[in-house]
Amino acid sequence: MKIRVPMVVLVSCGLLALAGAGAYAELQKGHYQPATLGHLTQADSNESSPDSQYGAVAYPLYPPELETGDGKAETEGYCSVCHSARYITMQPPLPAATWEAEVTKMRKTFGATIPDAATSKILSYLQTHYTPETRKQ
Amino acid sequence: MMDAHERFLSRRGVLKALGAASGGLALSRWIGTGSTLAQEPALSKPVESFTGPGANPHWNSVGPYVTEPEKAPLLLLTDRPVQLETPRHYFSTAFTPNEAFYVRWHLDGIPNNVDMKGWKLQIEGNVAKPQALSLRELMQKFKAVSVAAVNQCSGNSRSRLQPRVAGGQWGNGAMGNAMWTGVRLRELLDTAGVKAGSVQVQFQGLETGSGPKGAASNRFLKSMDLSNPVLDECIVAYLMNGEPLPMLNGFPVRLIVPGYFATYWLKCLTWIRVLETTDENFWMKPGYRVPDTPRGDTTPEEVKAGKVNMVPIGRMPVRSFLVSPDGSSKIPAGMTVTLRGIAFSGYGRVTRVEISEDGGKNWSAAKLGEDHGEYSFRTWEAAWTPKSPGKYTVAVRATDEKGNVQPDEPVWNPGGYLWNRIEKQELVAGVAG
Repeated sequence: MKIRVPMVVLVSCGLLALAGAGAYAELQKGHYQPATLGHLTQADSNESSPDSQYGAVAYPLYPPELETGDGKAETEGYCSVCHSARYITMQPPLPAATWEAEVTKMRKTFGATIPDAATSKILSYLQTHYTPETRKQ
Repeated sequence: MMDAHERFLSRRGVLKALGAASGGLALSRWIGTGSTLAQEPALSKPVESFTGPGANPHWNSVGPYVTEPEKAPLLLLTDRPVQLETPRHYFSTAFTPNEAFYVRWHLDGIPNNVDMKGWKLQIEGNVAKPQALSLRELMQKFKAVSVAAVNQCSGNSRSRLQPRVAGGQWGNGAMGNAMWTGVRLRELLDTAGVKAGSVQVQFQGLETGSGPKGAASNRFLKSMDLSNPVLDECIVAYLMNGEPLPMLNGFPVRLIVPGYFATYWLKCLTWIRVLETTDENFWMKPGYRVPDTPRGDTTPEEVKAGKVNMVPIGRMPVRSFLVSPDGSSKIPAGMTVTLRGIAFSGYGRVTRVEISEDGGKNWSAAKLGEDHGEYSFRTWEAAWTPKSPGKYTVAVRATDEKGNVQPDEPVWNPGGYLWNRIEKQELVAGVAG
């Protein structure tokens, strides 16, 4: 049985995962592939065979352009273990205290294993670029 | 100075209107001569990349269009896990097409593929006869029932809140209505035989996250009290608008909880677990909780002071929307146009929709469309004539059979839930000649 490992890089690498409890189906999940934003092409229909398999297409990844600055690498690396950095750029500009609460929630509630030094860098990066006073794009 | 290419682009609309877009001769004439218009037409400008710290002024969220598996182009909130919003124009009908239905996942391990040979719906926990049912058994051994029901994200319209709240920055499009067909949850529970001493039933789907075992980032679990009468109306649905569910909307089966916010509507439902204790996992506490105040309204100060009692979110308050006209076109004064939209309530049938052309001072009744049941979108329409040129603030409000009326006051709570303020749309009437 293969188990999904945390991904520091955004690109998933085709892992098979077995669901948690009980006698249960093999299934693929968590597959994502890089895609290009701004190119809305028509999707062709996928080939299907009349077997018991349903689905199988990867979900496209659209990594955002984060602001350049100290702490960007830590932010991209650690936050992307569980979710896209779009969770940052999607937000409205948030006050510094809100970013601190968010980072704390990710560590304490969601169990993100981020070393203290990296946590400080991530927090400082978010507070430098994504507050009402500082956010540009 | 514009070069020829730019000039062509700026005249695209004019050429199109003349039906001359393919004519090289006509094209060169238009480029070569001076403008006959008062000013150069401009291309539509794209929406900003984010909104805030003020409220999002747009009907939808501001993300770009993207295409995901089995989906029409929808508005991107996040790509991993996938969160997509339905554009406004899809709400002109009572039923939202599957390919346009919004998408909201909590954890990044979304199934890409399910093998139906191995898949079984498990009914386990405090039951006399645990069950493991294949899709074929669900379809053949149990009576199929259908319900039209609105699925709305708890955080729909979160981007309206002031002050802004962190979370999915939805506009109004984190909702949809479908005809759901499947098996009654009650029949499944009866088959398994709920034992005495049970208090809740927990639902778990196939999604998993990369977080450590036991953490909120590892599993998404939701529970409801066994004493809640809504369980009698719940369906384990294998059809959505008469088709199998798109993977992103919960193939092979999804829990339908009519009238309730979508947080309970587990996608890829695979485990139904009868519990002897109250579920206090993150997604039940403190996740998805609202103040026990009227409308779930509070302030950041009261939250900070610890004065607010938080309870699990439940039914959806009454809402209504103007879908068209959407303000993208000017209306000639004196022309009678049709205002169209939808309304719904989690507390019962919508009985009245009213429109106002003066921002909510005076109201008149709209005509309601076909009744698809108390949990469905109800379409409405009203003829409207802007009598003279100017700006009009068209407002729409709905009332449900329990007498709940949409208010014109905002709502605020720390989760950014329960927004149902009266919607307003500025429409411009121009000089007709």
